[in-house]
Amino acid sequence: MHPRLRLLAALALAGWLVLPFLPLAVWSVAHGWRFPDLWPRALSGKAWGYALSDTAGVLDSFALTVFIALSTTVLAALVGIPAGRALGLYRFRGKGLVTALLLAPAILPGLAIVFGLHGIFLRLGLVGTTGGVILAHLIPVLPYMTLVMAAVFSAFDTGYEDQARSLGASPAQVFRHVTLPAILPGLLAGALFAFLISWSQYLLTLAIGGGRVQTLPLVLYSFAASGRNDITGAIALLYILPGLLILVVTSRWITGRSAAVVGTLRP
Amino acid sequence: MTTLTLQALEMSYPGTGVAAVKGLDLVVESGTLTALLGPSGSGKTTTMKLIAGLLRADRGDIRLGERSIRDLPPERRGVAMVFQSPLLFPHLTVAGNIGFGLRMRGLAPDDIAHRVQSMLSRVRLDGFGPRRPAALSGGQQQRAALARALILAPDLLLLDEPLSGLDPSLRDEMRGLIRELQRETGITTLVVTHDQAEAVTLSDRIALLLDGRLAQHGPPEDFYRRPASGTVARFFGGVNFLSGQVRAGVFHGPIGPLQLSEHVPDGDGTLTIRPEALRLGPGPNAHMAKVAGLTFLGTQTRVDLLIAGTALQMLAAPDQVAGLRAGAEILVSLPPDALWLLPRPPA
Amino acid sequence: MTDRHRILLLLAPALVILGGLFITGLGLTLLRSLRYFPGLGLTDPDLSAYRAILTSPGFLKSLGLSLWIASASTLIAAGLALAAALLLRQTFPGRAVISFLVQLNLTIPHIVGAIGILYLFSQSGSFARLAHAAGLIAAPGDFPALTQDPYAIGIILLYVWKELPFITLILLANLQSISADHESVARSLGATRWQAFRHVLLPMLMPGLAAASALVFAFAFGAYEVPLILGASAPKALPVLAWQSYTDTDLSTRPEAMAMAVLIALFGLLLLFLYMRILRSGGRDAP
Repeated sequence: MHPRLRLLAALALAGWLVLPFLPLAVWSVAHGWRFPDLWPRALSGKAWGYALSDTAGVLDSFALTVFIALSTTVLAALVGIPAGRALGLYRFRGKGLVTALLLAPAILPGLAIVFGLHGIFLRLGLVGTTGGVILAHLIPVLPYMTLVMAAVFSAFDTGYEDQARSLGASPAQVFRHVTLPAILPGLLAGALFAFLISWSQYLLTLAIGGGRVQTLPLVLYSFAASGRNDITGAIALLYILPGLLILVVTSRWITGRSAAVVGTLRP
Repeated sequence: MTTLTLQALEMSYPGTGVAAVKGLDLVVESGTLTALLGPSGSGKTTTMKLIAGLLRADRGDIRLGERSIRDLPPERRGVAMVFQSPLLFPHLTVAGNIGFGLRMRGLAPDDIAHRVQSMLSRVRLDGFGPRRPAALSGGQQQRAALARALILAPDLLLLDEPLSGLDPSLRDEMRGLIRELQRETGITTLVVTHDQAEAVTLSDRIALLLDGRLAQHGPPEDFYRRPASGTVARFFGGVNFLSGQVRAGVFHGPIGPLQLSEHVPDGDGTLTIRPEALRLGPGPNAHMAKVAGLTFLGTQTRVDLLIAGTALQMLAAPDQVAGLRAGAEILVSLPPDALWLLPRPPA
Repeated sequence: MTDRHRILLLLAPALVILGGLFITGLGLTLLRSLRYFPGLGLTDPDLSAYRAILTSPGFLKSLGLSLWIASASTLIAAGLALAAALLLRQTFPGRAVISFLVQLNLTIPHIVGAIGILYLFSQSGSFARLAHAAGLIAAPGDFPALTQDPYAIGIILLYVWKELPFITLILLANLQSISADHESVARSLGATRWQAFRHVLLPMLMPGLAAASALVFAFAFGAYEVPLILGASAPKALPVLAWQSYTDTDLSTRPEAMAMAVLIALFGLLLLFLYMRILRSGGRDAP
């Protein structure tokens, strides 16, 4: 491709990727920005001040969303590591079926199961509880975590574990000192994206939270629906902050092959 | 120092129905360096894993000294194993790897560091402690893996094909190191290998495993001079077999009478002689032979002979047979002390 | 412990959670869609809910709209992603910045992107203001309806924005494992650049592209919050219609909501089946 044409294409791509953030950022500091003004009458920190105030509840919501995403991630890791080990290391009858069962919740739209789930959780008294929301988030998160761990384990040589046992390590010591360090990079990459999947859930939280579990996307939507564009802009930027931080910290890992693992399930 | 005893050991892999180890009896004397030799599929790897505790025996017993270790988990057996590939933990330094087992036992860090230092110099890796395993050459990695097991002063050391992953030039060095350290420490050591040359050059004694059973156990010379069966003889390069009858200390076979050096009871039998034991020229048991072919092998020359229509092979120094041509008639002798009558299978 | 027992033990927690929640959730949805609901006195399963939605013009329009959204979004995003991946495969100044933006996009929740698109393309949004400044329009109503519009242009724009980087990343990962030598060999055998791409590189990228497209299609077909923000009030995208029927105060529409969920699930299962087929037949380079 001609270098100038290539540069043009690159600029167009970069511009398109950045574009939707621009009005959000400007709105978050806008004071009076009516049609057809190209730029706000004045800039102000009022929207940010409100979003970050104790009374607005946005920060509480932020903390709650972090708590839910962290809990979901930890649970998914606890369950996903052994399951990933089974899928990554062994061949067995019914493996295709198990893989399909693991893929299905990740590929099927949340709407396909959310009504049935709502019915079950109603009966279990989990609707409207944070625990219920965490459990519901496991449905899209766990498959993802399991498949990432399966990929990690399929590249792991269990000879290291045998070697450690023969050097006097107990099974718990083997996991702590040999297996865990070996799978840690994959586990962290899986955990970060498990966090982000839970972090961006909308429908499952709405249905299972029953309006009582107000995570950040729900708060964001209610401000957007009420037409408070300035506060919406501030919350939206607040909402994408953890993802941005994670990316900056880990950008070296999320290149190449791991991006494929990471991107396999969630568009 | 500890004797390893395998008693009627049996194990088959689930779903195969075929036993990989079939009633194996073996006593590895305390302080020896013994090779567990066998072709692939002979059950030697299974035996090793049974001893290390990575597999469970169906029947039989495994004892170290007086202690049965059959049902102990791997870490409580006092058996340290060095795998074929070095398997150094990539997230630890070389020193961290060598001190791993001591750390698992909960020794003080100072103590561990001290012992690791002295171990590093014993395997000639001084100064390599702080490095990552990936920065080591293949030979250095293998030495670090050996050090990692030896530092635990195990009752039994298992080495799985310790030389096979190394370049030929490094093998002698590693072989020397294993012999030297084993003598110094006196740790009972079992080397698992499929390479008979490796077994012969490395070990004090060889236990040959064929088809899940012990075929012969003894010093390396025995496998050449006194093989327990035709199969054992062939495994060690035996090619000359003559069937006939023993009458009054003389073997009567296809090439004529052969005087035996030991007394053997009368009866049918199979006689074997190493190709390198045949001599050119006159001597006891001399026969005329026709040269059927010559093959230069480098350090030796193989001479294919026909004696009274029976094919025999001789290995000789190349300059010794330099003048020979195919078709020549020569005198060849079969020294009585090199003749070995294979034990007759029990009737 | 035999391998079989070990495998079962390792898989058990995951199977219990996913089987318990997912299968039961799906099963309950199916039963309710057949109007089996003993709590409400409905004990004779029948297909009337399906009959009702399949003869309702509103449902059929929503179904058509969702299929249109998913197809258009997937095709456009996949085509652009292929171009973007080929672009990012080359070295040029500023490539690192674009790679970062592509990855950043992966971490952005859909709802944030949807609001951003709304503020850009709505009739009082940034582009409408630019059009006004350029003297093209006099009032917001003069600007073409690009969001909350009957053709779902805003929704498709959002999916193109969000899924283009997703497919690009998968293609880039595949490209890493495809040696450039294949193209060189093709060129040395007389293929032009275009022929080398068309007959060598593209077929090798196809499994990854198809698998990623199946995922994007499934998501665009069944996502709720995007059409909630960017969709028109009529016709509604299928997920929005289903949720509305479910939360309707008139409980009698619930079986219809369940039937819609079952149809969405069937579409999802079909795509899952295709996805697994692609992965199995696509060989090593599929994600």
